[in-house]
Amino acid sequence: MKQIIRITVGLVISCLVAGAVMGGVFTVTDKAKKRNEHLAVQETMLGLLGYKDAKQVPADLKLYSIYRYIITDGSGSQYLGYLVPVAEGNETGYMLLKLDLQGKFISKKNIDISPEKAREAPERESALKAVLKPPISFRYADEAIVATLGKKRLAYLLPGEFLGFKTTIKAMLALDPSFGIVGLDILEHEEDPGLGGEIEQEYFKNQFKDKSYDRITKLKVIKEPLPDEYKKYLEKSKWQKGAFSKEQIATIRKKYQDKDIYAITGATISSKAVTDGVKGMVRKFAYRMGKLEAVIVNEKIPAVFL
Amino acid sequence: MAVTKKTNKQLVLDGLLSENPIFRLALSMCPAVGISSSVMNGILLGIAVLFVQVFSSCTISLLKDYIHPRIRIPTYTLVIATWVTVIDLVLAAYVPVAYKAMGIFVKLIVAFAIITMRLEVFACKNPVVPSFWDGVGMGTGFMFGMVTLGTVREFLGTGGLLGHDLIGTRPLLFFILPLAGFFCVGFIMAIFNYVEIVYKRMKRKRSIAQ
Repeated sequence: MKQIIRITVGLVISCLVAGAVMGGVFTVTDKAKKRNEHLAVQETMLGLLGYKDAKQVPADLKLYSIYRYIITDGSGSQYLGYLVPVAEGNETGYMLLKLDLQGKFISKKNIDISPEKAREAPERESALKAVLKPPISFRYADEAIVATLGKKRLAYLLPGEFLGFKTTIKAMLALDPSFGIVGLDILEHEEDPGLGGEIEQEYFKNQFKDKSYDRITKLKVIKEPLPDEYKKYLEKSKWQKGAFSKEQIATIRKKYQDKDIYAITGATISSKAVTDGVKGMVRKFAYRMGKLEAVIVNEKIPAVFL
Repeated sequence: MAVTKKTNKQLVLDGLLSENPIFRLALSMCPAVGISSSVMNGILLGIAVLFVQVFSSCTISLLKDYIHPRIRIPTYTLVIATWVTVIDLVLAAYVPVAYKAMGIFVKLIVAFAIITMRLEVFACKNPVVPSFWDGVGMGTGFMFGMVTLGTVREFLGTGGLLGHDLIGTRPLLFFILPLAGFFCVGFIMAIFNYVEIVYKRMKRKRSIAQ
């Protein structure tokens, strides 16, 4: 009996100490970690739009976030709530558009929050709580970013996550205004290094580039060896000067544009997971954006990205 | 309680060669087979293991008198998990560049047999300084093993090293697959054993001659 008590107490104490150490380190590092993650996401977004460093970014490139919430009212029926950035004079404000699940417009409300504050989830929540009073409840669903260059809509940036082989994979997709893929980047994953971990390599993720919306909806994974010229073409950061002439790039691009995704050797499941994940993200986003766009036009919402 | 009589240098060398974790002790075979498909993977995982091994060895060797023998294994796991989490968080917060490359490797380590085994066999019976050197030896030994495997597999599988193409063709794609890891480990293990036999034979001859 004495033994049992000593063992129990010993284990409890070791767990508590370990927990305290981990918790302590977490509180100390959390802020810096979050900042790094934010910077990494920013860098990824600009990279996907084709700007390799901050100097190249033109001054009139603007990134506007649209946040999607699921709203449940007192009777239990669900609605979609889009937080859309709108022009308020010279400032940018936010408006909450309430849509039913079929995408029909229900109501609109101004939300008192600045774009800088809207980036923080707790700030958004408290601003929304001022408008959506109980028994109405809401929860965050996802974010989409609209990139505009001057008056022109440049691209959509979609952060998203889907299930990989081991845990969830966090990725960032860049789509052109007609929902074709401009680029894909893997932000975070825990696939096995050397196998599924290869999804973050250029020769895999760049295969998604230049696929049109129609092609993406039918995208498959094929178990064929990646052709050498295509691999060289995909590994853009390894290009030496003059490795490809403009004509060569155009022909290779055209040749492989409509191909399916070549699976990674030894990691078919991860390849499939990413392909299906991307497919799902693009399809859902195209559908939702279509509905939202229609509402914005019909209701004459002064959205900043129009 | 058998306190080691080996010198620090001997401890490190033992970890590298005669007690090499992969080829002699046959521990942590999962990463050895799964992840050693390129030299870079080997180096990164090796560094991650080296740090976790050294830190955990020192911690256990400091705490060895307070750990109840019945719960030593859970305690080891806790210590390893704590160090893995701490290293992961610190890298993510202060060295984002390193985290980008090493993050996935660090997270893998918690369940590595080699670390638990060294804590059980060595650190819980020895003072801090030898434990530190044992950790260093085992860590570098593991890295050495991973790099050796990575070199063989990457060269034969992709025809290059460290991502640079050397011979222009891909001779045997088979070597990149996890399955080939078994063959490589087996062959290198055989070489190690053969060297040991030859070495012992020479030693015996010399002692007879004397």
